[in-house]
Amino acid sequence: MQVKYLKPILVASAMVGLSQWSGLSMAQTADQLYKRSLSATCANCHGTDGKGVVDGGMPLINNLTSEQMLAKLKAYKSGALEGTIMPQLAKGYTDEQLTTIANQLGKKQ
Amino acid sequence: MDRRHFMGQSAAVLGLLAGLSTQARANLPKAEILVIGGGYGGATAAKYLRLFSNNTARVTLIEPNTAFVSCPMSNLVIGGSRSLAEMTSPYDTLSKRHGIKIIQDSVSNIDAEKKMVKLASGKTLRYDKLVVSPGISLNMNSIEGLAQANKDGVTLQAWKAGPETVALHKQIAAMREGGTFALTIPEAPYRCPPGPYERACQVANYLKQHNPRGKVLVLDANQDIVSKGALFKKAWAEQYPGMIEYRPKSNVIGVDAKNKTLKLEVEDDVKADVLNVLPQMAAGEIAIKAGLANSNARWVNVNFLNFESTARKDIHVLGDAIQIAPLMPKSGHMANQHAKVAAAAIVAELSGWEVNPAPVLTNTCYSFVNDREVVHVASVHQYNAAEKTFKTVPGSGGLSPAPSILEGIYAWGWARNIWADSLG
Ligand SMILES: Cc1cc2nc3c(=O)[nH]c(=O)nc-3n(C[C@H](O)[C@H](O)[C@H](O)COP(=O)(O)OP(=O)(O)OC[C@H]3O[C@@H](n4cnc5c(N)ncnc54)[C@H](O)[C@@H]3O)c2cc1C
Repeated sequence: MQVKYLKPILVASAMVGLSQWSGLSMAQTADQLYKRSLSATCANCHGTDGKGVVDGGMPLINNLTSEQMLAKLKAYKSGALEGTIMPQLAKGYTDEQLTTIANQLGKKQ
Repeated sequence: MDRRHFMGQSAAVLGLLAGLSTQARANLPKAEILVIGGGYGGATAAKYLRLFSNNTARVTLIEPNTAFVSCPMSNLVIGGSRSLAEMTSPYDTLSKRHGIKIIQDSVSNIDAEKKMVKLASGKTLRYDKLVVSPGISLNMNSIEGLAQANKDGVTLQAWKAGPETVALHKQIAAMREGGTFALTIPEAPYRCPPGPYERACQVANYLKQHNPRGKVLVLDANQDIVSKGALFKKAWAEQYPGMIEYRPKSNVIGVDAKNKTLKLEVEDDVKADVLNVLPQMAAGEIAIKAGLANSNARWVNVNFLNFESTARKDIHVLGDAIQIAPLMPKSGHMANQHAKVAAAAIVAELSGWEVNPAPVLTNTCYSFVNDREVVHVASVHQYNAAEKTFKTVPGSGGLSPAPSILEGIYAWGWARNIWADSLG
């Protein structure tokens, strides 16, 4: 039997007061899996986990912080930033999805 | 959902989770996961099953070939500007770096009841989860005389990259001066919508340099160019004036190998010097044999949330073999994306979690109009729960305005990165 996918914030709030519950780490992993699989949509062009082939011809993204990455993705989406494919792809994601991707793939400071 | 409702529901869910947690943890590393086919879909699925499970899933990949040869970029081999070696990657990185067991063999049968697969060598393997990504089969019998002509090497397909890709280039290079290369395209859907038109560009680019009076004749069973139509037509007119003749609604029904003649459904026969006949396509043989091809006995219907076959439980089918969602191309990029959704879903299922209810897919597809300049088409596909399918997002995606060298650099960048993402 399967359980419903739970949004992490809701799970976290539901967890308050429920100490020692063994499923907590599992719920976090389910959410982590979702974030990883969403971010993996970028990997075809920008490399597994955002680590692209060095000198491979594709712009590398793993030098960007999450903030820089999100700003760039949003600029592509709004049309403020020009490009070949990225303005077209960025428009296909929700803002929430772009934030998730930027948090997931951006360089941790 | 209000908070009270949520708390009520979550209390029930929590009880459930607590009960499930031991079973779930046990299932993932214990499950036997087999992947059939090490192409864009299968290799990516094998790798991402390991990554998404933090290397706990047991994954075995079954593939008859010793190395992966990419269809994307292979038109450049036909055009003579690149070698097949440049688009060949070894499989052993998947075992060395990711701990995937690789069996060099092909699957001859799937027993979905017993959850067993039989290999050509006679060995049998059991599975808990099976991923099937066998690509396409070419229906040589859909065109009279083609099966024999292809066997004899008189006509080539080169639609599965490998020895025929090189052989087709050699035939074009050996063509008499002023000769005609004829390419036939089946009715869509077929593998890689823009692929044949890119091939026409590549052959014309070669002939322009080596056989300038040579001709390219494109016989297309479709009403018009299936992908990037305006871009291809413009490139043909500007870069290869008078060289490429395009005939839509031209359905080839027979091949006379001796006289190098193509028989058409409506128009007169066509004689050419080199024949590249692409027949109707269907899911890879093993998918058909296993009873998975439940869409017109040709393609496999899947549940798009996890890519599980609608015919068989615990068999997940990816890539070109599936019945596509609207505007979803049969592309390597797409097969790689299917694989990630399926891998995440399998890891979730074996962990006792519901699969992600909102998966996303993208596609980008680059076509070389000569050996350096490229045009692209891109799209984003979000899962639509109400219609249980993927839908492209209005306002997103699109085409290049014109061929460019910059996109040529990105096209190679795409290839090197997707090879690394799928096989590295
Ligand atoms: C000329 C050309 C150009 C293309 N250009 C592009 C492009 O620019 N971009 C793009 O995205 N796509 C492109 N494509 C399309 C792309 O090649 C396919 O969409 C992609 O290969 C599909 O992946 P797949 O996993 O479904 O099948 P494949 O990649 O074909 O992999 C199938 C694998 O399964 C194995 N197999 C089959 N049967 C069995 C069995 N019974 N047992 C074990 N193994 C088995 C095969 O050996 C093979 O390795 C192009 C295709 C062609 C022909």
